[in-house]
Amino acid sequence: MTARGFASHSRLYLVALVVVVCFGVVAHRLIDLHVIEREHFLAQIQDTRHRVVAEPARRGNIYDARGDLLATTKTDITLAVDPWALQDKIEAQKFPARMARYEQEQRERRAQLAELLGMTVAEVEALYTPSWRDIPLEQDIHDDVVDGRTRARFVKFREGVTEEQFAKITALRVAGLTHERRFRRVYPHRELAAHVIGFVNKEDVPSGGVEAFADQYLKGLSGWREIERDGKRVELAQYRQREVPASDGWGVTLSIDAAIQYIVEQELEAIVDRFKPQKATILVSDPHTGFLLALANYPSFDLNEFGTTPLDKQRNIAAADLVEPGSTFKIVATAGALNEGLVTPTTKFDCTLDSIIYNGKPRRFMRDDHRYPQPLTVAEVIAKSSNVGTAQLGMLLGDRRLYDYARAFGFGERSGYPLGREEPGLLADPSKWSGIDITRIPAGYSIAATPLQVHYGMGVIASGGDLMRPQVIRQVVDAQGEVVYTFKPAVRRTVLERGTAESMARMLQRVVSTEGTARVAVIPGYEVAGKTGTAQKLIDGRYSARNHIGSFVGFFPASQPRVLMTVIVDDGKPPTGGTAYGSVVAAPSFKRIAEQLIQYLDIKPAAPTSGPAFFAHQAEGGRR
Amino acid sequence: MNTKNARAFATQLLVAALVVLGAGGGLGFAIVDLRQEISLSANTARVLEQRVVETERRIAELGGAIAAEQSPEVLAARNESFALGLVRPAESQVVRVAGSVTDRLTAKRQAEIFAAESGRVLTPVRFNTGGAQR
Repeated sequence: MTARGFASHSRLYLVALVVVVCFGVVAHRLIDLHVIEREHFLAQIQDTRHRVVAEPARRGNIYDARGDLLATTKTDITLAVDPWALQDKIEAQKFPARMARYEQEQRERRAQLAELLGMTVAEVEALYTPSWRDIPLEQDIHDDVVDGRTRARFVKFREGVTEEQFAKITALRVAGLTHERRFRRVYPHRELAAHVIGFVNKEDVPSGGVEAFADQYLKGLSGWREIERDGKRVELAQYRQREVPASDGWGVTLSIDAAIQYIVEQELEAIVDRFKPQKATILVSDPHTGFLLALANYPSFDLNEFGTTPLDKQRNIAAADLVEPGSTFKIVATAGALNEGLVTPTTKFDCTLDSIIYNGKPRRFMRDDHRYPQPLTVAEVIAKSSNVGTAQLGMLLGDRRLYDYARAFGFGERSGYPLGREEPGLLADPSKWSGIDITRIPAGYSIAATPLQVHYGMGVIASGGDLMRPQVIRQVVDAQGEVVYTFKPAVRRTVLERGTAESMARMLQRVVSTEGTARVAVIPGYEVAGKTGTAQKLIDGRYSARNHIGSFVGFFPASQPRVLMTVIVDDGKPPTGGTAYGSVVAAPSFKRIAEQLIQYLDIKPAAPTSGPAFFAHQAEGGRR
Repeated sequence: MNTKNARAFATQLLVAALVVLGAGGGLGFAIVDLRQEISLSANTARVLEQRVVETERRIAELGGAIAAEQSPEVLAARNESFALGLVRPAESQVVRVAGSVTDRLTAKRQAEIFAAESGRVLTPVRFNTGGAQR
């Protein structure tokens, strides 16, 4: 008989049985886990480990014409305390000595934290006192007791912590400290071009300006990813399931030049200091393209402090407020009459008249400030800003044509200013005009216009007859800086023949001369063309003799305009006590800004020519 | 009962079970190791990703800070606080050059060289100091 040793029958069967049973148990457990209890465990895992994490897109930057940053996005950290987490950690220490040591160590770190944040130790310690917060009963599922309160695990500590500060705070390793990081919009230049840029509020909703208009470019596309976390709430990167990366917003480059904007805002400050106006606005643009180089209003506000700024200050006066343009509107009747061939610059008008028969009825003129005993030529009517002369030009055109020209110049309709909140102005149809309107409207009364309309109206002459669309955005660039879209100059309509515009420009040059109303705006060596305006303010239904809107609209060099500028001062009070004429409150500012722009934009003085400047320029190949 | 066949079967079963256990165990270890490697790689990728985000965040922060410091208002304040006396050029200080600037500079440089060779002293540039004019 052979010895079987260990491998006896019974033992072999026993081992085989044990192995089979083991496999059986494993198989049973696997079936239990993966088939029978599958839904239950999946739900549990889904609940505790599975998370969908949103990845907010970073909002694009706004740049000025030279690439300076006007608006950017940075992360903002809100520090918070979970006092219960600290208590749990202390209680988790098994030995009293170790617990005391840990507690002492944490106390010292909190003292350092207080010092870092400029707080007292007591203030920090108070935040670390465990507290409860009330919640609806149906949501009270976080602890075993349903009593309508839960542990306060996010006690807000400090908002607006910088990354640098946060790095130092993290290095302290203070227990129970938690944080929340989110994007915040910042405006490095604060008040600069506030009404152009607009702002994004704390709910990430853009409000006004480029922020609202270009929101579709700027906002980007938020992403998300599905993740799993372990028991310590740390992401298990290997279980990332689906991921849609965030796509950052595109950048927007404006036509606004921060340096010009600063010059303009400085001048606006000077106007406010000197004349204490109710409001004021200055616009600077390129007359050939319609792109705005600067737009500033008073009052204004700091974009970073939008929350504490009254809504009144946030209004873009240049687009949203209406003013009677006064004499700056005289260019419409004059240009219209010239364009229609009804007059030439040398046609003379008797400006001593008090009234005239128009459409079979006598009409009284608005009186001029000065009496002109000799008849004035059309050029002199403009240079001396005669109400009587301009009214006669308007009458030559007639109601309908005057109205048509006013509309063609952009009055009574929105200019298409891209940033919105624009008023169309008031320009009644001739059928609704009263008897004296034909004497008032040519002089810029009985109508209301936005500063933008006044500005682009003069732009018709500066551009050579075209009415341009106001534009602020030059380019849209993607996150890599590649140009995605370029905004082109847009002509709204051609209003005047080129020759008429050139004649007008020459006549407006006489306004800015010793014989005109804007002699203070003369810049030696430079051809400046422009028109002053002084409108009495309508207060309680009557024109006030003490409250005026003074304005000056001009461009230079007149033969080859590079800059179109409008200065409007509402209810300025000259320190000498006189009337706030446009020549007093607005024209000097035009000159000061122009002198600085000559340097900044390297505008050359006019070449001395014997003939009219425009003819010299035409010989060089014309204007582009 | 054929005891020989039964024992052979039991032995084979035992051997097969051990082989299965060994292979299964080995496979299990390999899978665990593989998963560990996947986990390590994924975590490394996550850390790198976080560092990229962190760097981008700091760049944005720095860009904002630089822009704020370069604001005309801040620069003007610095000019005043450091008493630098920098002023914008006035038109009276500017000499407009009608012809070719390159030709003018060449002529000027040549004049300086010839003057030095002939021993004449030529003052090439005259400064009109602006000082702290405002």
